[in-house]
This record gives sequence, structure tokens and C-alpha cells, in this order.
Amino acid sequence: MFGLRTWILGVKSLLLHPMRSLLTVLGIFIGVASVIWLLAIGEGIGKKAKEQIEGLGADNIIVRSRKPPDEGAGGFSAPKLFGLTRAECDTIESTIETIGSVLRIRELPYKFSYAGNPDVKPIDGRLVGCTEGYAEVTRLEMSGVGRFLKDDIDVNVNVCVLAGELSAYLFPFEDPIGKQIYLPESQDYFRVIGVLKPKNATAAIGGSLDAQDFSRDVYIHIKTMEQRFGDTVIKRGSGSFSAQEFQLSQATLRVKDVRDVPRTANVIKATLFSKEGEPRQDISVIVPYELLEQAATTKFMFMVFMGLIAAISLLVGGIGIMNIMLATVTERTREIGIRRAIGAKRKDIIQQFLIETIALSVVGGATGILGGLLCPAAVDATRFVMEQFAPKILDSLPEIVRETDAVIVPLSIPLAFCISVMVGVIFGIYPAMRAAQMDPIEALRHE
Amino acid sequence: MADLAASIKELTKTYKLQSEEVRALRGVTFDVPQGDYVAIMGPSGSGKSTLLNLLGCLDRPTSGSFFLGEDDVAKMDDDGLSTIRATRIGFVFQSYNLIPQLTVEENIEVPLYYQGRLDPSARQRCRELASMVGLGERLGHRPTQLSGGQQQRVAIARSLVNDPYFILADEATGNLDSVTTDEILQLFERLNNEGRTIIMVTHEDEVSAHAKRVIRLRDGLIQTDIQNTDRVTNLKKEAMAKIQDPAKPQMERKV
Ligand SMILES: Nc1ncnc2c1ncn2[C@@H]1O[C@H](COP(=O)(O)OP(=O)(O)OP(=O)(O)O)[C@@H](O)[C@H]1O
Ligand SMILES: [Mg+2]
Repeated sequence: MFGLRTWILGVKSLLLHPMRSLLTVLGIFIGVASVIWLLAIGEGIGKKAKEQIEGLGADNIIVRSRKPPDEGAGGFSAPKLFGLTRAECDTIESTIETIGSVLRIRELPYKFSYAGNPDVKPIDGRLVGCTEGYAEVTRLEMSGVGRFLKDDIDVNVNVCVLAGELSAYLFPFEDPIGKQIYLPESQDYFRVIGVLKPKNATAAIGGSLDAQDFSRDVYIHIKTMEQRFGDTVIKRGSGSFSAQEFQLSQATLRVKDVRDVPRTANVIKATLFSKEGEPRQDISVIVPYELLEQAATTKFMFMVFMGLIAAISLLVGGIGIMNIMLATVTERTREIGIRRAIGAKRKDIIQQFLIETIALSVVGGATGILGGLLCPAAVDATRFVMEQFAPKILDSLPEIVRETDAVIVPLSIPLAFCISVMVGVIFGIYPAMRAAQMDPIEALRHE
Repeated sequence: MADLAASIKELTKTYKLQSEEVRALRGVTFDVPQGDYVAIMGPSGSGKSTLLNLLGCLDRPTSGSFFLGEDDVAKMDDDGLSTIRATRIGFVFQSYNLIPQLTVEENIEVPLYYQGRLDPSARQRCRELASMVGLGERLGHRPTQLSGGQQQRVAIARSLVNDPYFILADEATGNLDSVTTDEILQLFERLNNEGRTIIMVTHEDEVSAHAKRVIRLRDGLIQTDIQNTDRVTNLKKEAMAKIQDPAKPQMERKV
């Protein structure tokens, strides 16, 4: 008999103490809104991380060379070959069937300048040896005319493609196409055949892959690089000298079917690493697919954690309700006595007080949902205000904080509502039972 | 037994406290025929309220039997007692006991509400009852906006709404001045003339003088149970008013 009348009565009783009811509702409002907010922010961060990893391509496996820690105590020992070799790469490509294509990449730090303009100081950048597929894998786009290193170019001719930002630095006023850039360290010239659109740096992922800055890249064909520069890199600093020998910086292996990624990754590891399966110091295998799964787990943990915080605030709200209802029950002892005397059963009394708590928590829940829905707008507004008044602070924040948007989890709305009703029931049941257990005669005598 | 509103036999009630037992009722036996008008009197602590609470099914006796019609109330559980209270008993309390947040009309409706019988015709009846007790114009008012006498009349209307076996009034006029007391007593008499059974507890001889029968309690036992041969009725008062000085109606009203 949860009739309309009982509800009206409940609301009337609550309105007898508007301030008290309002504060109680506020407790639930905060609890429910924080459930939605925390889930929305958690979801936003998770989505952002997922996007970043997906930027690497879920169907890719990345094998990257890294310089092992120096063993020799200084000196000029002959450079030792480290990292992934061309031979290993060929073996992987020819023996593992699930791999569709292999992209070989070699990156070398270099200085670049423009021979035609002596005002432009040489700038530090990255000379990237690669093939046509690189542009697709790293999502680089050409700006205007020109094409990326087409497979049919003559590898004996020095041609290059410039990153958009680098091009803007070297050729502030001229059209770079057809011009020669100059590498002062090796005294090489390369003719520009294309320019890329500017691209944001990709973020580091789980510490296993460095953030990639593409803005100062010069792309040449890997065969050209091999022929011109060899495998040994000599670095002359002011008074220091070092040599490294490596053949490939990275191989990006595209797996035909994304479902085969974990299996393929295992085979690659087995091929590259020793029989004991010990990872090599000079190679790391990065599997974005696994990172994605990890990120999903991390996100899940994060959401649980956020949920926990929200649950605590709901708990506090619930205790607020209980507190108020216990006070109300004591205050209305006489009313309970009257109602019992003129025919209310215990369950009628329970119902009456339960309805009041549910009404409180439902109002709190409904307004809390509205408050929760404001989350994305509030996040945007905060960012806007920060941009206007405290851009420094904003810049100092990690990217994931700076750029995350809150994403309302649709499920969180019915969830929050159900939770608020449950809070009403759970925290209302004890005061209601107490009211119902009162002896009618005693209650009637109560002043 | 059909014409008995209530029948109690050897009813006892013992309150157990930590150290001692209080024997509030020590074996009370009497019948209340339908249409009776009983006043229960006695010194303070003699068990009047205890008896009335038992009659009102607010409490269960320690021993003895209490029949309401065919049902032995002494054997009922809490829900059963609630149902009986809702359907067969009307209460009028000394301190009115209206629900403050409800209007006059809503207060009258409450017992029906708990029986799930609150249909339009029932609500119409509630309004009629309100007019009968003279508050037809005040349906939307709250108890705090009414005088004590008016509140008590609302309580009486409420006690009638379920067409009860009897109306129980514990010191119903205890908080009222003599004029208002008179009004309430007139209302009781009218109801009794219409066939209602009324059982009331009172300290005052002026009040009990209106009853058809007076039961005196002492230390939890019935001391006397006598028919009131010298009953004061409205008719009598009117007759007296004609004999005495009509210019001083206040005097007569005090009875
Ligand atoms: N809940 C209770 N617990 C213990 N003793 C009680 C309880 N209720 C009543 N008594 C005792 O029972 C006896 C009868 O009380 P009761 O209230 O019936 O008296 P009463 O005749 O109505 O008195 P009064 O005229 O003062 O209202 C008293 O001694 C009282 O102390
Ligand atoms: Mg008493």
C-alpha cells in the first residue's frame, strides 16, 4: 500500500522541517553526484589512455633496440653491435606467418640546416630511415603536394621528406620542395621531395616506450641511410668521442589478424631472446595490444577506487539520513502512538518512515544526477578558466590531466539512482523499525 | 451475547518492574451492552487508564478474557489488535491527539486510510461527520488553528469514522473548561441517543452524572457498579433552565 497518499504525507512531514530535509538531501546529492563525477573522470582518463595506445596500433608489435648500459670503464674500445639486426628482422618476416608486413626504422640524431640560407642555424633533429609504410603506421600526413618515400624511388639518390615544424624552421619564406637541406656533421645534402603536416607528439606509454617527437624529423629511405651512413655512428662532442653500432632502431611488425597478436608476440620473443627466455638487454618488445589490456585493467582498478570514494560519500549521506530519521522518530513518538491507537499496523509505521527516507534520498539522487551530468561542462569550464588565468599551472600538469575530458558513463545514472534508493531503504529501515516497535501506550504518553 | 458491545471476565493486568510487580487490575468482570453509556471513576492509580487501554486493545491483559463481539481480544497478536482498533474502536483522548501536520478532514480520515477504505463515499462521510460535530466550515484547518474544544470534536468525529463498537474516552473533558465540557458531553449524549456505546473515564462527578452507569474502581478492583438513576440529560437541563432565571444561563450550564 505504498499509495500516493502515503507519499504526499511523507513529503508534508518532511516539509515541516525544510532546512533539515534540505541538508539531508544535500548529503545524498553530494554522494550521487560524486559517483557520476568520479566515474566520468575515470572513464575519460581511461578513454584517453586507450586512444594513445591505439595510436600505436593494436595490431602492431614493436621491437625496439636500446643501448645496453656501458660495460667498459670508459676508453676507446671498438663499438659493439647492439639491438635488432637486419638479419633477425628478415628471419622474423620470413618465418612467422601471422605477420603481414614489417616496417624497418633506423633513427639517428643529426643537425640540419639549409644550404641556401646561412642565417638559419643548424638545428638538432632526427634523421629517420624508413620506408613508405612508416607514414601510415605513425599516422603522418603529407601537406600539399609531394609524397612520402614511395617504394619506387631511387635509393641511390639523396631525397628526403621533412616534418612540418622543421620545414617551417628551415624554410620560413620559401617553398622547400626541390631545395637541398644540409647535414653539417656528415656533409651530406638531401633534396626535399615532400613536407608533412605538423603532428603532436605521442605520449610515453607505461614507461616502456619513449614519447615520440616527430617535429624535427627528416625522413629518408632506409636503404639510402644504410648506404650513406653505415651501421656505426660516431658522435663528436666537445672533447668527447663515442661510437655506437646498431642496424635498426625499431621494427614495427603488423599482424594480419589482431587476435593473433599475443601468440605472435610470444613467437617473436622466443626468436629474439635466448633459449632460457631471458629478455635481451638491448631489445624491448612492446605489444600495444597487451598494453591496451593492461590499460583496461588499470582503468578498472581506477574505477573501483573512484567508486569506493563515491561509496564513502554516499555512506556519509546515508548516515546523515539515518541520524535525521532517528531524531524525527523520537520527535514524532506521540504521532506514532496516535497512529497506532487508531489502527496503524507496525508495517504501516515502517512504511511511513521508510517513505520519508526514500523520498529524501530520491530527491537527493535525482538532483545528484543533474549535478553529475554537469561534470563534462564543469571540467571544460575549469580548463577554460585555467587557460585564461593560470596557463602556467595548466602547462605544468601532466598531459593526461590537461587533456582528459569527462565522459559520462551512461550506466552510472541508473546506478546512482538505484544506489540512492538503496541508501534510503538501508539507512531508513532501522529508524522505521524503531518507530514501529514502540509500545502505543508509551508513545501516547510521550510529551 | 449479540447485544453486548464488550464482555470482560476476571481481567487482570500486572506490570512487571525490575524490583516489584504492580497489580494495576486484579480481576475485573463486567459486560457492556450495546448503547450503554458508562463512566469509570476512582482515585488516581486505581487502574482506570489501564482498564481503558485494555478495552481499547492497546494492551493485552495478563489474564482473563475480553470479548469484543465473538472475538477474544486477549488472544490476538499485534496486527490483530491493530485491525480491531482500526475497525471497531473509537478513541477520544484527554489531550485530543490529532496529527499536527494533517488538516481536520485528513485527521478524520486516518483510521479509514489504515483500513484501505478511503474511497470517495468514505470521504464524503468524513465531511458529514465534521459537520455533525460542528466543524463543517473548518475542514482545511490544522489542529493548531483550532481551540481545545474544537480539537476534541475533531477527535470525536475521528473516533466515529469507523462505525465503532464503542467510543473510549479517557478524561476527554479533562483539559476543557466547563462550557466546552458541556458541549462535548452534549455531543456524547446525542451519539448515545443514536445508539453509540460510550465508555469514559473521568474524575469529575459533574461529568459522570451524564452517564447511564457508573463503575468505581479501587486498587484494581470494582468497588461499585451502579445504574445512574439521577442522570443529568440535555432534556432535564432545558427543563431546569425554564424554571430558573433565564437571564443567567451560565450558571445552569455548569450543572
Ligand atoms: N506501564 C506501566 N508500568 C508500570 N506500572 C504502570 C504502568 N502503567 C500504569 N502502571 C501502574 O498501574 C497502576 C494503575 O495506573 P493507571 O494509569 O491505570 O491509573 P489511573 O486510574 O488511570 O490513574 P489516574 O487517575 O491518575 O490517571 C498505577 O499504580 C500505575 O503506577
Ligand atoms: Mg489515567
